[in-house]
Amino acid sequence: MKLDISLSPEAVFHLGSLPITNSFLLMIFVTLFLIVGAIWLSRNVKLAPKGFQNAVELIFEGALDFVDTIMNDKDKTRKVFPFVFSLFIYILVANLVNFIPGQAALTINEGGKFVPVLRGVMADYGMVLVLTIISFVTVQVVGIMSFGPFGHLGKFINFSNPMNFFVGILELVGEFAKILSLSFRLFGNIFAGEVLLSVFLFLFPFILPLPFMVLELGTALIQAFVFSVLTLVFIKMAGEKAEGH
Amino acid sequence: MKIFEAFGLDWRILIAQLINFAILFFILWKFAYKPMFKILDERKKKIETGLNYAARAEEKLKEIGEEEKKTMVAAKKEAAKFMEEAKKEAEESRKKQIEKTKEEIGQLINQEKENMRLEKAEVLASINREVAELVALTVEKVIEEKMSGQKDEELIKKAISKLK
Repeated sequence: MKLDISLSPEAVFHLGSLPITNSFLLMIFVTLFLIVGAIWLSRNVKLAPKGFQNAVELIFEGALDFVDTIMNDKDKTRKVFPFVFSLFIYILVANLVNFIPGQAALTINEGGKFVPVLRGVMADYGMVLVLTIISFVTVQVVGIMSFGPFGHLGKFINFSNPMNFFVGILELVGEFAKILSLSFRLFGNIFAGEVLLSVFLFLFPFILPLPFMVLELGTALIQAFVFSVLTLVFIKMAGEKAEGH
Repeated sequence: MKIFEAFGLDWRILIAQLINFAILFFILWKFAYKPMFKILDERKKKIETGLNYAARAEEKLKEIGEEEKKTMVAAKKEAAKFMEEAKKEAEESRKKQIEKTKEEIGQLINQEKENMRLEKAEVLASINREVAELVALTVEKVIEEKMSGQKDEELIKKAISKLK
Protein backbone atom coordinates (compact mmCIF):
# COMPACT_ATOMS: atom_id res chain seq x y z
CA MET A 1 0.00 0.00 0.00
CA LYS A 2 1.21 3.40 -0.88
CA LEU A 3 0.26 6.73 0.65
CA ASP A 4 -0.69 9.01 -2.19
CA ILE A 5 -1.18 12.64 -1.34
CA SER A 6 -2.15 14.99 -4.10
CA LEU A 7 -2.03 18.76 -3.72
CA SER A 8 -4.55 19.20 -6.47
CA PRO A 9 -7.98 17.62 -6.73
CA GLU A 10 -8.10 14.76 -9.17
CA ALA A 11 -10.56 14.18 -11.95
CA VAL A 12 -12.96 11.36 -11.20
CA PHE A 13 -14.55 11.45 -14.64
CA HIS A 14 -14.82 13.75 -17.57
CA LEU A 15 -17.90 15.54 -18.77
CA GLY A 16 -16.94 16.08 -22.37
CA SER A 17 -13.58 17.74 -21.96
CA LEU A 18 -14.47 19.14 -18.55
CA PRO A 19 -12.83 17.15 -15.77
CA ILE A 20 -15.12 16.60 -12.81
CA THR A 21 -12.83 16.50 -9.80
CA ASN A 22 -13.44 14.70 -6.53
CA SER A 23 -13.70 17.96 -4.55
CA PHE A 24 -16.15 19.26 -7.14
CA LEU A 25 -18.33 16.21 -6.57
CA LEU A 26 -18.39 16.72 -2.82
CA MET A 27 -19.08 20.42 -3.38
CA ILE A 28 -22.19 19.48 -5.35
CA PHE A 29 -23.36 17.30 -2.47
CA VAL A 30 -22.71 20.01 0.09
CA THR A 31 -24.55 22.58 -2.00
CA LEU A 32 -27.50 20.28 -2.52
CA PHE A 33 -27.61 19.52 1.18
CA LEU A 34 -27.70 23.22 2.06
CA ILE A 35 -30.27 24.02 -0.61
CA VAL A 36 -32.55 21.22 0.51
CA GLY A 37 -32.11 22.31 4.10
CA ALA A 38 -32.93 25.93 3.25
CA ILE A 39 -36.03 25.01 1.25
CA TRP A 40 -37.20 22.62 3.93
CA LEU A 41 -36.70 25.35 6.50
CA SER A 42 -38.59 27.93 4.49
CA ARG A 43 -41.53 25.55 4.18
CA ASN A 44 -41.67 25.04 7.91
CA VAL A 45 -40.91 28.39 9.50
CA LYS A 46 -43.53 29.43 11.99
CA LEU A 47 -43.92 32.46 14.19
CA ALA A 48 -43.86 30.25 17.25
CA PRO A 49 -40.81 28.09 16.64
CA LYS A 50 -40.28 24.57 17.87
CA GLY A 51 -37.73 21.84 17.58
CA PHE A 52 -35.41 22.25 14.64
CA GLN A 53 -36.48 25.80 13.86
CA ASN A 54 -35.60 26.75 17.42
CA ALA A 55 -32.05 25.49 17.00
CA VAL A 56 -31.69 27.19 13.61
CA GLU A 57 -33.01 30.45 15.01
CA LEU A 58 -30.68 30.24 17.96
CA ILE A 59 -27.68 29.97 15.63
CA PHE A 60 -29.12 32.51 13.21
CA GLU A 61 -29.85 35.11 15.83
CA GLY A 62 -26.58 34.49 17.62
CA ALA A 63 -24.71 35.02 14.36
CA LEU A 64 -26.80 38.08 13.55
CA ASP A 65 -26.02 39.60 16.94
CA PHE A 66 -22.35 38.82 16.50
CA VAL A 67 -22.26 40.46 13.07
CA ASP A 68 -24.06 43.42 14.54
CA THR A 69 -21.44 43.84 17.25
CA ILE A 70 -18.89 44.25 14.47
CA MET A 71 -20.98 46.34 12.07
CA ASN A 72 -22.65 48.48 14.76
CA ASP A 73 -25.44 49.25 12.35
CA LYS A 74 -28.65 47.25 12.12
CA ASP A 75 -29.31 48.06 8.45
CA LYS A 76 -25.79 47.29 7.33
CA THR A 77 -25.87 44.09 9.34
CA ARG A 78 -28.97 43.00 7.48
CA LYS A 79 -27.25 43.66 4.16
CA VAL A 80 -23.98 41.98 4.96
CA PHE A 81 -25.22 39.11 7.06
CA PRO A 82 -26.58 36.85 4.28
CA PHE A 83 -23.27 36.92 2.45
CA VAL A 84 -21.06 36.40 5.48
CA PHE A 85 -23.26 33.74 6.98
CA SER A 86 -23.49 31.93 3.63
CA LEU A 87 -19.71 31.82 3.52
CA PHE A 88 -19.60 30.53 7.07
CA ILE A 89 -22.24 27.85 6.74
CA TYR A 90 -20.92 26.70 3.38
CA ILE A 91 -17.34 26.39 4.59
CA LEU A 92 -18.44 24.82 7.85
CA VAL A 93 -20.63 22.17 6.24
CA ALA A 94 -17.99 21.50 3.58
CA ASN A 95 -15.40 21.00 6.30
CA LEU A 96 -17.61 18.86 8.52
CA VAL A 97 -18.68 16.60 5.67
CA ASN A 98 -15.10 15.33 5.59
CA PHE A 99 -15.69 13.64 8.93
CA ILE A 100 -18.42 11.38 7.67
CA PRO A 101 -16.51 8.10 7.71
CA GLY A 102 -16.09 5.84 4.76
CA GLN A 103 -15.20 8.47 2.19
CA ALA A 104 -11.59 7.42 1.98
CA ALA A 105 -12.70 3.94 1.02
CA LEU A 106 -14.46 5.22 -2.07
CA THR A 107 -11.83 5.17 -4.78
CA ILE A 108 -11.84 4.80 -8.49
CA ASN A 109 -9.13 3.38 -10.66
CA GLU A 110 -8.12 6.08 -13.07
CA GLY A 111 -5.33 5.01 -15.34
CA GLY A 112 -3.68 2.69 -12.82
CA LYS A 113 -4.01 5.22 -10.04
CA PHE A 114 -6.50 5.00 -7.20
CA VAL A 115 -8.33 8.29 -7.08
CA PRO A 116 -10.63 9.01 -4.12
CA VAL A 117 -14.13 9.79 -5.33
CA LEU A 118 -14.63 12.49 -2.69
CA ARG A 119 -12.21 15.09 -1.43
CA GLY A 120 -12.58 17.89 1.04
CA VAL A 121 -14.15 20.88 -0.69
CA MET A 122 -11.83 23.34 1.01
CA ALA A 123 -8.87 21.08 0.30
CA ASP A 124 -9.25 22.28 -3.27
CA TYR A 125 -7.36 25.53 -3.67
CA GLY A 126 -9.56 26.48 -6.61
CA MET A 127 -12.70 26.53 -4.48
CA VAL A 128 -11.00 28.51 -1.74
CA LEU A 129 -9.62 30.94 -4.29
CA VAL A 130 -13.07 31.42 -5.77
CA LEU A 131 -14.52 32.16 -2.33
CA THR A 132 -11.66 34.53 -1.57
CA ILE A 133 -12.11 36.37 -4.85
CA ILE A 134 -15.84 36.68 -4.19
CA SER A 135 -15.01 38.07 -0.77
CA PHE A 136 -12.37 40.41 -2.24
CA VAL A 137 -14.71 41.69 -4.94
CA THR A 138 -17.43 42.24 -2.36
CA VAL A 139 -15.04 44.26 -0.23
CA GLN A 140 -14.08 46.41 -3.23
CA VAL A 141 -17.74 46.89 -4.17
CA VAL A 142 -18.54 48.00 -0.63
CA GLY A 143 -15.61 50.42 -0.76
CA ILE A 144 -16.75 51.85 -4.07
CA MET A 145 -20.33 52.10 -2.88
CA SER A 146 -19.23 53.94 0.25
CA PHE A 147 -16.74 56.41 -1.30
CA GLY A 148 -17.40 56.32 -5.02
CA PRO A 149 -14.99 54.72 -7.51
CA PHE A 150 -12.41 57.51 -7.24
CA GLY A 151 -12.77 57.85 -3.51
CA HIS A 152 -12.12 54.18 -3.14
CA LEU A 153 -9.20 54.22 -5.54
CA GLY A 154 -7.88 57.28 -3.75
CA LYS A 155 -7.24 55.16 -0.70
CA PHE A 156 -4.52 53.34 -2.63
CA ILE A 157 -3.25 55.87 -5.12
CA ASN A 158 -2.68 59.16 -3.42
CA PHE A 159 -0.42 61.91 -4.77
CA SER A 160 -1.17 64.52 -2.09
CA ASN A 161 2.26 64.01 -0.55
CA PRO A 162 5.03 61.40 -0.72
CA MET A 163 4.11 59.94 2.66
CA ASN A 164 0.51 59.36 1.63
CA PHE A 165 1.67 57.97 -1.68
CA PHE A 166 3.85 55.44 0.05
CA VAL A 167 1.07 54.52 2.50
CA GLY A 168 -1.31 54.13 -0.42
CA ILE A 169 1.07 51.73 -2.14
CA LEU A 170 1.38 49.75 1.08
CA GLU A 171 -2.38 49.62 1.36
CA LEU A 172 -2.61 48.41 -2.23
CA VAL A 173 -0.13 45.64 -1.60
CA GLY A 174 -1.92 44.79 1.64
CA GLU A 175 -5.23 44.64 -0.18
CA PHE A 176 -3.97 42.01 -2.58
CA ALA A 177 -2.08 40.22 0.15
CA LYS A 178 -5.48 39.70 1.75
CA ILE A 179 -6.42 37.39 -1.09
CA LEU A 180 -3.36 35.25 -0.50
CA SER A 181 -3.56 35.21 3.28
CA LEU A 182 -7.28 34.54 3.34
CA SER A 183 -7.18 31.75 0.78
CA PHE A 184 -4.02 30.03 1.94
CA ARG A 185 -5.10 30.13 5.55
CA LEU A 186 -8.26 28.20 4.83
CA PHE A 187 -6.81 25.90 2.21
CA GLY A 188 -3.63 25.26 4.21
CA ASN A 189 -5.46 24.37 7.40
CA ILE A 190 -7.95 22.05 5.81
CA PHE A 191 -5.50 20.42 3.43
CA ALA A 192 -2.93 19.96 6.19
CA GLY A 193 -5.62 18.43 8.36
CA GLU A 194 -6.51 15.98 5.64
CA VAL A 195 -2.90 15.08 5.07
CA LEU A 196 -2.30 14.66 8.80
CA LEU A 197 -5.31 12.41 9.22
CA SER A 198 -4.53 10.33 6.18
CA VAL A 199 -0.95 9.91 7.38
CA PHE A 200 -2.14 8.76 10.80
CA LEU A 201 -4.74 6.51 9.26
CA PHE A 202 -1.99 5.07 7.09
CA LEU A 203 0.42 4.57 9.99
CA PHE A 204 -1.94 3.27 12.62
CA PRO A 205 -5.66 3.49 11.93
CA PHE A 206 -6.90 2.60 15.42
CA ILE A 207 -7.46 5.16 18.21
CA LEU A 208 -4.32 7.17 17.34
CA PRO A 209 -6.10 9.41 14.80
CA LEU A 210 -8.97 10.16 17.21
CA PRO A 211 -7.47 13.09 19.14
CA PHE A 212 -6.32 14.59 15.87
CA MET A 213 -9.80 14.17 14.45
CA VAL A 214 -11.14 16.15 17.41
CA LEU A 215 -8.55 18.84 16.70
CA GLU A 216 -9.52 18.82 13.04
CA LEU A 217 -13.17 19.24 13.98
CA GLY A 218 -12.13 22.36 15.86
CA THR A 219 -10.12 23.51 12.88
CA ALA A 220 -13.12 22.97 10.61
CA LEU A 221 -15.24 25.25 12.77
CA ILE A 222 -12.55 27.81 13.48
CA GLN A 223 -11.45 28.17 9.87
CA ALA A 224 -15.03 28.64 8.69
CA PHE A 225 -15.43 31.26 11.41
CA VAL A 226 -12.13 32.97 10.68
CA PHE A 227 -12.73 33.17 6.95
CA SER A 228 -16.21 34.64 7.27
CA VAL A 229 -15.32 36.99 10.11
CA LEU A 230 -12.25 38.28 8.28
CA THR A 231 -14.42 38.92 5.25
CA LEU A 232 -16.85 40.73 7.52
CA VAL A 233 -14.09 42.84 9.04
CA PHE A 234 -12.70 43.70 5.60
CA ILE A 235 -16.16 44.76 4.49
CA LYS A 236 -16.54 46.85 7.61
CA MET A 237 -13.13 48.45 7.05
CA ALA A 238 -13.89 49.14 3.41
CA GLY A 239 -17.07 50.97 4.42
CA GLU A 240 -15.24 53.24 6.82
CA LYS A 241 -12.98 56.21 6.32
CA ALA A 242 -9.35 55.33 6.77
CA GLU A 243 -8.27 57.05 9.95
CA GLY A 244 -5.21 57.36 12.07
CA HIS A 245 -2.70 56.42 9.39
CA MET B 1 1.44 28.68 -15.14
CA LYS B 2 3.10 26.05 -13.09
CA ILE B 3 1.49 27.08 -9.80
CA PHE B 4 -1.95 26.82 -11.37
CA GLU B 5 -1.13 23.31 -12.49
CA ALA B 6 0.21 22.38 -9.07
CA PHE B 7 -3.05 23.36 -7.43
CA GLY B 8 -5.05 21.81 -10.21
CA LEU B 9 -6.70 25.06 -11.16
CA ASP B 10 -8.86 24.88 -14.21
CA TRP B 11 -10.72 28.04 -15.15
CA ARG B 12 -13.77 26.06 -16.23
CA ILE B 13 -13.97 24.43 -12.85
CA LEU B 14 -13.38 27.76 -11.16
CA ILE B 15 -16.31 29.24 -13.03
CA ALA B 16 -18.44 26.23 -12.18
CA GLN B 17 -17.52 26.66 -8.54
CA LEU B 18 -18.33 30.35 -8.70
CA ILE B 19 -21.71 29.65 -10.25
CA ASN B 20 -22.30 26.94 -7.69
CA PHE B 21 -21.68 29.33 -4.83
CA ALA B 22 -23.78 32.01 -6.50
CA ILE B 23 -26.70 29.61 -6.81
CA LEU B 24 -26.24 28.49 -3.23
CA PHE B 25 -26.15 32.08 -2.03
CA PHE B 26 -29.20 33.01 -4.05
CA ILE B 27 -31.21 30.06 -2.77
CA LEU B 28 -30.11 30.59 0.81
CA TRP B 29 -31.01 34.25 0.49
CA LYS B 30 -34.40 33.48 -0.97
CA PHE B 31 -35.34 30.52 1.18
CA ALA B 32 -33.46 31.06 4.40
CA TYR B 33 -32.50 34.68 5.06
CA LYS B 34 -35.61 36.38 3.72
CA PRO B 35 -38.14 34.28 5.62
CA MET B 36 -35.94 34.29 8.70
CA PHE B 37 -35.60 38.06 8.68
CA LYS B 38 -39.31 38.36 8.05
CA ILE B 39 -40.20 36.09 10.90
CA LEU B 40 -37.74 37.81 13.23
CA ASP B 41 -39.23 41.18 12.36
CA GLU B 42 -42.74 39.89 12.73
CA ARG B 43 -41.97 38.36 16.07
CA LYS B 44 -40.20 41.49 17.24
CA LYS B 45 -43.17 43.58 16.22
CA LYS B 46 -45.57 41.21 17.89
CA ILE B 47 -43.57 41.18 21.09
CA GLU B 48 -43.32 44.95 21.02
CA THR B 49 -47.04 45.42 20.54
CA GLY B 50 -47.66 42.83 23.22
CA LEU B 51 -45.37 44.64 25.62
CA ASN B 52 -47.01 47.92 24.69
CA TYR B 53 -50.40 46.51 25.38
CA ALA B 54 -49.24 45.08 28.67
CA ALA B 55 -47.74 48.42 29.71
CA ARG B 56 -50.88 50.25 28.72
CA ALA B 57 -53.06 47.75 30.52
CA GLU B 58 -50.96 48.13 33.62
CA GLU B 59 -51.20 51.90 33.42
CA LYS B 60 -54.93 51.72 32.94
CA LEU B 61 -55.22 49.36 35.85
CA LYS B 62 -53.24 51.72 38.02
CA GLU B 63 -55.40 54.62 36.89
CA ILE B 64 -58.55 52.72 37.63
CA GLY B 65 -57.21 51.73 41.02
CA GLU B 66 -56.38 55.33 41.80
CA GLU B 67 -59.76 56.48 40.61
CA GLU B 68 -61.36 53.83 42.71
CA LYS B 69 -59.43 54.98 45.72
CA LYS B 70 -60.36 58.58 45.03
CA THR B 71 -63.99 57.67 44.64
CA MET B 72 -63.86 55.64 47.80
CA VAL B 73 -62.30 58.49 49.71
CA ALA B 74 -64.84 60.95 48.33
CA ALA B 75 -67.69 58.60 49.12
CA LYS B 76 -66.37 58.11 52.62
CA LYS B 77 -66.02 61.83 53.10
CA GLU B 78 -69.51 62.44 51.82
CA ALA B 79 -70.90 59.71 53.95
CA ALA B 80 -69.14 61.18 56.97
CA LYS B 81 -70.53 64.58 56.10
CA PHE B 82 -74.00 63.17 55.76
CA MET B 83 -73.64 61.40 59.06
CA GLU B 84 -72.48 64.57 60.72
CA GLU B 85 -75.30 66.54 59.24
CA ALA B 86 -77.82 63.94 60.18
CA LYS B 87 -76.45 63.90 63.68
CA LYS B 88 -76.59 67.66 63.89
CA GLU B 89 -80.08 67.73 62.55
CA ALA B 90 -81.19 65.04 64.91
CA GLU B 91 -79.58 66.90 67.80
CA GLU B 92 -81.22 70.13 66.74
CA SER B 93 -84.60 68.60 66.24
CA ARG B 94 -84.29 66.90 69.59
CA LYS B 95 -83.33 70.17 71.22
CA LYS B 96 -86.21 71.89 69.51
CA GLN B 97 -88.57 69.19 70.58
CA ILE B 98 -87.38 69.45 74.14
CA GLU B 99 -87.70 73.20 74.09
CA LYS B 100 -91.10 72.96 72.60
CA THR B 101 -92.14 70.42 75.16
CA LYS B 102 -90.70 72.58 77.91
CA GLU B 103 -92.58 75.54 76.59
CA GLU B 104 -95.74 73.57 76.33
CA ILE B 105 -95.31 72.31 79.82
CA GLY B 106 -94.62 75.85 81.00
CA GLN B 107 -97.69 77.05 79.22
CA LEU B 108 -99.74 74.30 80.70
CA ILE B 109 -98.43 75.14 84.14
CA ASN B 110 -99.12 78.82 83.63
CA GLN B 111 -102.58 78.09 82.43
CA GLU B 112 -103.15 75.80 85.32
CA LYS B 113 -101.81 78.48 87.67
CA GLU B 114 -104.10 81.03 86.11
CA ASN B 115 -106.99 78.66 86.38
CA MET B 116 -106.18 77.99 89.97
CA ARG B 117 -105.87 81.69 90.70
CA LEU B 118 -109.18 82.40 89.04
CA GLU B 119 -110.80 79.51 90.83
CA LYS B 120 -109.32 80.67 94.06
CA ALA B 121 -110.57 84.17 93.45
CA GLU B 122 -113.96 82.81 92.57
CA VAL B 123 -114.01 80.61 95.63
CA LEU B 124 -112.96 83.54 97.77
CA ALA B 125 -115.62 85.73 96.24
CA SER B 126 -118.26 83.12 96.72
CA ILE B 127 -117.11 82.59 100.27
CA ASN B 128 -117.27 86.31 100.83
CA ARG B 129 -120.74 86.46 99.40
CA GLU B 130 -121.94 83.48 101.34
CA VAL B 131 -120.40 84.77 104.53
CA ALA B 132 -122.05 88.14 103.95
CA GLU B 133 -125.39 86.49 103.32
CA LEU B 134 -124.94 84.30 106.27
CA VAL B 135 -124.06 87.22 108.46
CA ALA B 136 -126.95 89.19 107.04
CA LEU B 137 -129.31 86.40 107.84
CA THR B 138 -127.89 86.00 111.25
CA VAL B 139 -128.03 89.65 111.91
CA GLU B 140 -131.51 89.74 110.48
CA LYS B 141 -132.50 87.07 112.83
CA VAL B 142 -130.74 88.73 115.72
CA ILE B 143 -132.21 92.09 115.02
CA GLU B 144 -135.77 91.55 114.34
CA GLU B 145 -136.29 95.02 113.57
CA LYS B 146 -135.79 95.33 109.95
CA MET B 147 -133.97 98.28 108.62
CA SER B 148 -134.05 99.67 105.27
CA GLY B 149 -132.30 97.39 102.83
CA GLN B 150 -129.67 99.81 101.87
CA LYS B 151 -128.64 100.77 105.29
CA ASP B 152 -128.61 97.27 106.30
CA GLU B 153 -126.20 96.24 103.62
CA GLU B 154 -123.91 99.09 104.34
CA LEU B 155 -123.77 98.19 107.96
CA ILE B 156 -122.98 94.64 107.20
CA LYS B 157 -120.23 95.53 104.83
CA LYS B 158 -118.67 97.72 107.43
CA ALA B 159 -118.83 94.99 109.96
CA ILE B 160 -117.20 92.56 107.65
CA SER B 161 -114.37 94.84 106.66
CA LYS B 162 -113.78 95.38 110.35
CA LEU B 163 -113.71 91.64 110.81
CA LYS B 164 -111.22 91.27 108.16
